[in-house]
Amino acid sequence: MSPLDIGLWVTGGLLALVALGVRVGFAAAIAGVAGLIWIFWEKKDYAWDELGWAMGVAVKTAGQVPHAKTASQSLSLIPIFILIGYLAYQAGLTRALFEAAKRWIAWLPGGLAVATVFATAGFAAVSGASVATSAVFARIAIPEMLAIGYDRRFAAGVVAAAGTLASLIPPSAILVIYAIIVEQDVGKLLLAGFLPGAFSALVYGALVVGLAMAWRGLGPPVRGFTWGERMRSLPGAMPIFAVIALIILFVYNPFGEAFGTPTEGGAISAALILAIALVKGTKWRDLRSAIVETAKLTAMIFAIIWGVLIYVRFLGFADLPGAFSDWIAGLEQSPMLTLILILLAYAVLGMFMDAIGMLLLTLPIVYPAVVALNGGPGVAAADSPFGLSSTEVGIWFGILVVKMAEFCLITPPIGLNCFVVAGVREDLSVQDVFQGVTPFFIADALTIAGLVAFPGIVLWLPRLLGI
Amino acid sequence: MAGTANVREDASLLSRLDRALFRVEGWMTVVAGLLVLGLMALAVVSVGGRNFFDRPLPGYVDWIEQVMPAIALLGVAYTQRLGGHIRLDLVIGRLRGRPLWAMEWIGTLLTLLLALVLIWGSWSHFLRSFDLGQPLWSRDSSIDIGLPIWPAKLVVPVALAVLALRLCLQLAGFGRGLRDGGTPPAVPLMESAAEVAAAEAAAIEGDAPETRR
Repeated sequence: MSPLDIGLWVTGGLLALVALGVRVGFAAAIAGVAGLIWIFWEKKDYAWDELGWAMGVAVKTAGQVPHAKTASQSLSLIPIFILIGYLAYQAGLTRALFEAAKRWIAWLPGGLAVATVFATAGFAAVSGASVATSAVFARIAIPEMLAIGYDRRFAAGVVAAAGTLASLIPPSAILVIYAIIVEQDVGKLLLAGFLPGAFSALVYGALVVGLAMAWRGLGPPVRGFTWGERMRSLPGAMPIFAVIALIILFVYNPFGEAFGTPTEGGAISAALILAIALVKGTKWRDLRSAIVETAKLTAMIFAIIWGVLIYVRFLGFADLPGAFSDWIAGLEQSPMLTLILILLAYAVLGMFMDAIGMLLLTLPIVYPAVVALNGGPGVAAADSPFGLSSTEVGIWFGILVVKMAEFCLITPPIGLNCFVVAGVREDLSVQDVFQGVTPFFIADALTIAGLVAFPGIVLWLPRLLGI
Repeated sequence: MAGTANVREDASLLSRLDRALFRVEGWMTVVAGLLVLGLMALAVVSVGGRNFFDRPLPGYVDWIEQVMPAIALLGVAYTQRLGGHIRLDLVIGRLRGRPLWAMEWIGTLLTLLLALVLIWGSWSHFLRSFDLGQPLWSRDSSIDIGLPIWPAKLVVPVALAVLALRLCLQLAGFGRGLRDGGTPPAVPLMESAAEVAAAEAAAIEGDAPETRR
C-alpha cells in the first residue's frame, strides 16, 4: 500500500471518529498516532518483529508534539486574548458600552438598534465570543428596544446578527490560530480582519437605518440626550475602544521593531481591563472564575492544536495534502468556482461544528490546495488566476473562512446565535429570530460576495505593512 | 461559572473519586490561569522596560516558552471532566440511554489509549533532556538565559496522567450506565450549546444586578 493510500484510510478513520462524537483534538491525535505506526510498519513490510519498533518511533514522534508545538511565543497571544475576553465580562463593560452607544446614536431612525449593533460588535470583538455576546445583549438591549415600541423580531435579529462580528475585529483568537496553522504572519491577519469587520458593522448599521426609514414604527428614534450626558457616558465605554486601538497599534507598530509585539499589546489591554475590574471592586471569587474559564478555554483550544499537529506530522509522511492540491489545481473549471465551492462547503460544515475545530481540522489539507489553486507557493501576483501573491491569497482566504464561520451562526435552519437569542427571550420563537435576522443574513451574503470579488478590501491594510 | 451542573453526583465511590479528582484538576487549572496572568505581567514589564527605561527584560522569550506548555496543558483534564472539549454531536446528540453510553464508552476508551501512548512518548521526550548528573539536572537549556527545559517538558506527561485518571473514571461511569441503563454519575451530560450560552449569560448578568428584568 502506498503512503497516499494509508493517508486516505487514516483520514477516513479520522472523519468517522469525529462523526461518532470523539472530541475533535483527541480524534486527530488518535488518527495521527495510528497513521504514524502504520506508515512506519509498512516500510518494514509488516514484519511482526518490527511492529514494536514502528510503535516506538511513532510514539516518540507524537510524544514531542504537545511540548514542542505549544512552547511558542506567537501562540502566547491566544491565552492573552482569551483572558481579555473573560476579564471584560467581569469588569461589567457591557452595560456601560450600550449606554454610551445609546446616548450618542439613538437619535437616528432605528437608533437604539444601531446603538445595539455597535455595542454588541464592540463587545463581541473584545470578548471574542459571538454566541455568548448575543446572549448577553439579548438581555440588555432587547428589553429597552421593546419598551419604546420596536418590532420584537427586528430587535432580536439585530442582536443575533451583531454578535457575529466577534472574530474579525481585533483581538481575534481565531485569526491567530489560522495564522499559525497556515504559517502566515499573525499581525497581517489581525490587521486584515479589521476592515471587513468594521465594514460589516457599518453595513449592519446602515441597514438598520434604512429599514427604520422605510417602515415607520419598526424602530422609532430616541431624542433628548444632552451633550453632558453623552460625555459622561464615554469613560465607561472607553476601555473597549482602547483595547481594539491598542491591539491595532501594536500590530501595525509605527515605531519600529523594538517597540513591541502583538502579545505585549494584548497584555497591556488585559492589564488595563484587570485594573478596571479591580477598581470596580470585583471579588476574588469572580476573578478566579475569570482565570479558570480562561485556562479552560485555552486548554480546549490547545488540545485541538496539538492533536491536529500530531495528525499533521503523519500527513507529512503520507503526502495527502500534496495529492489533494494536485487534484484541486488540475480540475477543469475556473479556480474561482472551485474557491466558491470550498467556501460553501465551510458554510455547511460550520452549521455542525465550532469554528475553531472546523478550521484546525480542515486547514492542513484545504489550505495547500487553495494556494495551489492560486498557482502554487511563491507565485507572483501577475501570474495567478486571482491576481494575488501566495501570501496575499493566504490572508484573503483566512478572512473569508472566518467570515463564513460567523455567517453560519445566523444561517437557517441551525444558526446558533438565533437559537441562543430565542433561548434567552421566552417571548420569542426561533422562527421570529430567523425572520428578524433575514435582512442581515442577506447583507452578509452580499458582503462575502464583495470580499470574494474584491480582495483589495481585505488586503488594503496588510499591504500598507508591506507583504 | 459553567460549574458542575452537567455532571451528576451521588454517594457512590465513583462519584466521591470524581469529586476528589475534580478538586485536583481545579487547582491545576487555577495554576494555569495564574500563569496566564503571569504571562501578562511579564509582557507588560518587558514592553515597559524596553520603551521607558531602556532596559529590556532578559530572557523574556525563554520565560514565555517555559510557561506556555503549562498554560496549554494543565487544564486539559478539568475541561474533559466538564465535557468542554469540542466535538461534533450531530450523531451522538440524538442517542439516549444504552446506545449513548456505549458510544461514549468506546470514544472514552480510545481517548484513554491515546493518553497512555502520549504519556509514554512525552515522558521519553522529558527523559532526553533530564540528567541528575548535570548542572540544574539539565542536558539542554533555553537560548537566551539558559533556563533548563525539562520542567516544561515534564508538565506534559503529568497533565496527561491526570487526564488518563479522569478518563478511567469516565470509563467506569459510562460502563455503569451501560450496565444499569440509567444516568450514571461522574460523566459529563450533554447540554445544547444554546443552553450553555444562556447559562453563561445568566452568570454574567448575575454580576450586574441592575440589568435584571
